Amino acid sequence: MSEPCWIRRQLSGGLLLSCREHRSPGLLAARLWIAGGSSVDPSDQRGVHQLLAGLLTRGCGDLDADGLADLVESRGAALRAEAGEDSLVISLKCASEDADVLLPLLVQMASRPTLEPDQIAIERQLNLQALQRQREDPFQLCHESLRQQLYGEGPYGHDPLGVADELEQLQRTDLRDQLSLLGQRGAALVLAGGVSQGALEALETAISRDPWPVSPPGQPLELGAASSGSPLALIEEDTEQVVLMLGCTTVPLADADNLPLRLLQAHLGLGMSSRLFITLREERGLAYDVGVHMPARRGPTPFVWHLSTNADRAAEACTALLDEWQRMLEQPLTDPELTLARAKYLGQEAMGRQTCGQLADREALLLGFGLSTTFIDDCLARAAAFSGVALQQAAQRSLGSPRLSLCGPTDGLQAAAAAWNSHALNRDRNA
Amino acid sequence: MGLPLSTIARPPLLDGLESVHSRTLHSGARVVSLNLPEAPLICLDLWCRAGSAFETAAESGMAHFLEHMVFKGSDQQQAGDFDLQVEALGGHSNAATGFDDVHYHVLVPPAAATQACELLLDLVLRPRLDQQDLELERQVVLEELAQSQDQPDEMALQTLLQLGCSDHPYGRAILGERDLLEAHTSGSMRRFQQRLYGAQHCVLAMSGPLEQPRLEALFEQLEQSPLASLPRTATTPVPPPLQLHPGEHRRTFARLEAARLLMAWSLPGAAERQAVAALDLATSLLAEGRRSRMVARLREELRLVESIDLDLQVLEYGSLGLLEAVCDPDDLPVVRRQIEGVLREIQETPPPAVEIERGRKLVANGYRFGLEAAAGVAGVIGNGALWQRPSDLNDPLRALRAVDAEQLQQSFALLDPSRACVLEAVPA
Repeated sequence: MSEPCWIRRQLSGGLLLSCREHRSPGLLAARLWIAGGSSVDPSDQRGVHQLLAGLLTRGCGDLDADGLADLVESRGAALRAEAGEDSLVISLKCASEDADVLLPLLVQMASRPTLEPDQIAIERQLNLQALQRQREDPFQLCHESLRQQLYGEGPYGHDPLGVADELEQLQRTDLRDQLSLLGQRGAALVLAGGVSQGALEALETAISRDPWPVSPPGQPLELGAASSGSPLALIEEDTEQVVLMLGCTTVPLADADNLPLRLLQAHLGLGMSSRLFITLREERGLAYDVGVHMPARRGPTPFVWHLSTNADRAAEACTALLDEWQRMLEQPLTDPELTLARAKYLGQEAMGRQTCGQLADREALLLGFGLSTTFIDDCLARAAAFSGVALQQAAQRSLGSPRLSLCGPTDGLQAAAAAWNSHALNRDRNA
Repeated sequence: MGLPLSTIARPPLLDGLESVHSRTLHSGARVVSLNLPEAPLICLDLWCRAGSAFETAAESGMAHFLEHMVFKGSDQQQAGDFDLQVEALGGHSNAATGFDDVHYHVLVPPAAATQACELLLDLVLRPRLDQQDLELERQVVLEELAQSQDQPDEMALQTLLQLGCSDHPYGRAILGERDLLEAHTSGSMRRFQQRLYGAQHCVLAMSGPLEQPRLEALFEQLEQSPLASLPRTATTPVPPPLQLHPGEHRRTFARLEAARLLMAWSLPGAAERQAVAALDLATSLLAEGRRSRMVARLREELRLVESIDLDLQVLEYGSLGLLEAVCDPDDLPVVRRQIEGVLREIQETPPPAVEIERGRKLVANGYRFGLEAAAGVAGVIGNGALWQRPSDLNDPLRALRAVDAEQLQQSFALLDPSRACVLEAVPA
């Protein structure tokens, strides 16, 4: 069965449109991908892109916040706008039959949001509350700490929600300044699902009438350098478990070393046959949830192992985790391990193209990161060619000096910290 | 029975989908399937009426613990073999335990479906349940419990259910109680498994590219599988209908950063399909989207809450309406008054047709969005067949269309504040 192709063309004003028909129960997924998310927040305005993203859904053109919400919700559609590290994305999912009304809104939201002061106040308050509530989750606390250790004041050094003190100071003029830059770093509109001719015509008519000048996606993006912090961080919380996160910054998605690291991720953390799942959970019962986090990033990608364990086993878990990290650096994958890692990498690729939304996300990422149309196929082909030694060498290049973040009760922290301090992996670094 | 509320903008039915195919094996176990020709993967989803609601008091956490132990292997498969083989085929597997049922699913490329089906049925229906494996897996289950207990919002919700459901099984944590988990043995687990995993309590759902030859091959295989030779089990006691205890409670929770106002209502069970459709619509009108009554009033207009959600948990022995509002502890009294005000206003003055149509479309699209991938479809047809509801995927949409003014107002009446169990969860 041959897969439908993406059809790409440029709309008035320069916005790149990419469409793909996909049989679905009458649904359409749309993504307006705009380059530059929280990684380009000005240094004293951390959170400005997420605040702006929230405001895009709170009124545009002639519609106030209620009018826009009425229009979207009366069609039963799902609309949201969020800033990630590398992009600001407006996402829409709706019935295909409603696309002629809703699609033109997406561009208007980005080009002519109303940014009403009362809506700024609501959205700011919601973001501040969300930041406060994140503190309830020990995984979030541990992750935030590791983010600081890995990136410091660098581009990925803060949660897209921002920093409370700076969020409180943001003015409407700051939002307007960022709005004027939206699209200048590149943007693309991706549609997947049931796309009618009528919907496309409505979109083109709206854009011709009210052009939004943007640059093509995939522009080079200058990100500041990461400035790494302490190798070990302890966050004291009155919890039963200690959360452990161990990680490094690595290479961008487009870098040649990214794929071998993703194969390592598949080997170590993907599925119940993964190395960490078996050695830490199945063989030792140390944790329920253990895995490897490696998102797709334009800049230095984090590569993070995570688990949580009862405080009285924190030292054992920490040592086991460090042993595994060291093993990754010192031993190449065996042929069966490599074969399994490749199968999981391929399987993950198939899992990621089941819905219109997944297809649209993937296309938006390729366009936004300036990757070739054959990037995924190329990766699948390249995956077959790597040896275990090549993966090990990639690990040695990027993962030689991991940092550890711990969150939990005092006793557990101290025990895990002692395990860290005495482990060869850490001693070698200090030597 | 009142007249239908409106004929404008009725949510369309699903088009282009084939019919659900259903067959009963000679054991009495059922198999349902739906061909999704363009799906890239096949989902095999084995459902069983063996959720935590069927545990005795001493069996606390057993349904979920057994779900873990299943992956420790069978006589034919060593621990880890199943995961290794499925993932080597490019597939993925998982399982989930609820109050009413448990299900185990694999998602695999079409060419691997036959092999995955054989492995899955052997694993789930013939688990080894070795005592040594159980001792180790107990540590994992206890870690899962501890992880959950470190999330104060989860603890608050569990407390609400305990207070409201009292001694009904829905008031007990699916993960179980630590002391009782410590006491489970492979013997007690096997008795639980043999009591509940009977042929009449199991359904296999399959969805994905299942054109006729592949489907026939799978059925042929199924006739020789453990599912076809699974014994029927003796009749087991079923939980009583849920009777929630209205009341007002206040508890403190360590590490909570914002207060929660939690409310629970006892609602008609899943078998009452028309009432469930009306409740789906009612809860959507109240709290789904920025223009819904509660979000518009409490978050957008008065700015009292960070978020407010009202979920309908459809359950077999009585559904639950669950409300959660996140706010400043000092605002709890006014938040509560406003919520009660919204609930009473909508009972006194029925919503206009245009608002109802908005809700109807939100509910219908939410359902349609959930059927895009093979796993979503297998979940709906598998769970429906397990509890003997109509297999037509359009049935919920027809029920939604048929909700009339009287049914909708009855739903709002069921959500009257006087019927709720209320918990104010505040930071310690």
